[in-house]
Amino acid sequence: MNASGSNPESGTLGASNPEYVVGRVRSRRASLFADEDYRKLIRMGPSGIARFMEESEYEREINELGTRFSGVDLIEHALNRNLAKHFQDLLDWSEGRLYDLIARYLRKFDVWNLKTIIRGIYTDTDPEEYQTDLIRAGELDDRTLDRLMEADEIEDAIEMLSRTTYYEPLMAAYEEFEETGALVPLENALDRAFYERLLEDVSRPPGQEQPQEGPEARYIEFLQAEIDFRNARNALRLARSGADLDPASYYIEGGVLFEESELNRLVADYDELIDHIAENKRYGDRLSGALDRLRDADSLIQFEHAVDAALLQYSDTLSSIYPVSVSAVLSYILAKEREVENIRAIARGREVGLDESEIEEELVIL
Amino acid sequence: MAKDVKPTRKNLMEIEDRIELSERGHGTLEKKRDGLIMEFMDILDKAQDVRGDLADDYDEAQKKINMARAMEGDVAVRGAAAALQEHPEITTESKNIMGVVVPQIESSRVSKSLDERGYGIMGTSARIDEAAEAYEDLLESIILAAEVETAMKKMLREIETTKRRVNALEFKLLPELKDSQEYIEQKLEEQEREETFRLKKIKEKKEAEEAEEAAREAAEEAEATDEEDEDLDEVQPDTAAQSPTGN
Repeated sequence: MNASGSNPESGTLGASNPEYVVGRVRSRRASLFADEDYRKLIRMGPSGIARFMEESEYEREINELGTRFSGVDLIEHALNRNLAKHFQDLLDWSEGRLYDLIARYLRKFDVWNLKTIIRGIYTDTDPEEYQTDLIRAGELDDRTLDRLMEADEIEDAIEMLSRTTYYEPLMAAYEEFEETGALVPLENALDRAFYERLLEDVSRPPGQEQPQEGPEARYIEFLQAEIDFRNARNALRLARSGADLDPASYYIEGGVLFEESELNRLVADYDELIDHIAENKRYGDRLSGALDRLRDADSLIQFEHAVDAALLQYSDTLSSIYPVSVSAVLSYILAKEREVENIRAIARGREVGLDESEIEEELVIL
Repeated sequence: MAKDVKPTRKNLMEIEDRIELSERGHGTLEKKRDGLIMEFMDILDKAQDVRGDLADDYDEAQKKINMARAMEGDVAVRGAAAALQEHPEITTESKNIMGVVVPQIESSRVSKSLDERGYGIMGTSARIDEAAEAYEDLLESIILAAEVETAMKKMLREIETTKRRVNALEFKLLPELKDSQEYIEQKLEEQEREETFRLKKIKEKKEAEEAEEAAREAAEEAEATDEEDEDLDEVQPDTAAQSPTGN
């Protein structure tokens, strides 16, 4: 494990190797499933999809996991394992500042794994049962994850993370966890730690000028979009639920869409919240269709769908502006994630009996 | 049964009391049965609505969970579900509908707000929320259906029992009691007639005997009178012979 949760060789962007990484990423990107592959998959059943995957990029994972899983579970675990392998490769290839920029985004898998382990300990589940749910694509190495799974108490697991960035937020939330007995504070602390570290060291502190142009400026823009979309999703969920929760405690700093001070007022008025998002210059146009539907519909799913598509489009645009930069890598990460989500959606959708048009509606394809 | 009863006046009175009680009970049970049927019809309407809602809620919950499993993945859905240890609480009380004790199920902690579902809000999606919400609604419907359907079954059982009792009274007990009553009345009348006839015979016999006695006595009396006359006749000539000289 990287003890601090950041790259030991972290340095400036100049010390990194974007050309090499982007070159390799480009070839990986070329092997992603194309639109016509999805169209073929939609017409297949789960076993057909598994066979199709066996003849593709996912051959190794399907064969490795074929003895333990079957059907859609095999597909889902193979997808997760393949995703982890590809993202680990990115971290292995990259150096210096580029490593740092990629790693901070891939830490969401550390957060996923930590949440899975904490839930396992919380429910006293045998680690054997949930270890395949881990997506080993983050910075925490296998040994650390295996040790964490052996912990008997959540507190012991948190102690094991004492040299990582997750330790302090988890310790701070632990008291509330003890009081309430619910995992919410711990899970929120982990997610917050991820989002708040996304822009750490990248965006300049107030007073210092942010880079306006160049790959780093676009990278910041992308991360801000990620944070803004997460804030928008959470604000809309809070507004829709009508629960008496303090929106500020779910606010992630670093975005440009909301100010913490205005969030309380916006969450209290659903229409005003939608207007606020729609009027934003940066995102209004991209999300206008979804926001219009949101005014009439009861469900947030279409909006989340639109947000995912917008983010994917965002990263794709950025990678075409600066093809030899972290943006190209980030764009690949998002595209790969989307591929995994699309294949999983098709397989699960077929399993649960969704028809082709319903599945097609749910796919995010650029 | 009627033949087993001793045709006594005491038994007749007892049977008459039982008939009166049974008829009163029959009337009350009929009213209870009709009342129960009316209550049952109300509950049936409610149960049909609840059943319909339950089916809709189940379809909706299945749809939402299927969508969540498809879009978020089974692993994410399972993970979110594992983040909650607390189970909803169900308490049962009872209420009385026309003598039938039916359950009243109260549930708590079924519908939860976003922060009570265990999983973190920041890292999850609306699909998980909607699936959780749909299952909370489904659970509420199941609890309501359990309450209404248990009440319905209990009412139905009670209606059946009451109906059987009414029928038993109407078609078995009361006819049998009435048969017995009729039998005893007939027997008693018969006995009365026999008694009257017997008394009449006795009276006739007695009168005949009396008449015979009287006749015999009259005959004896007549005979005695005749003898006396004869004796007097024998004594009188002597007396006559003496008397002219005597005067």
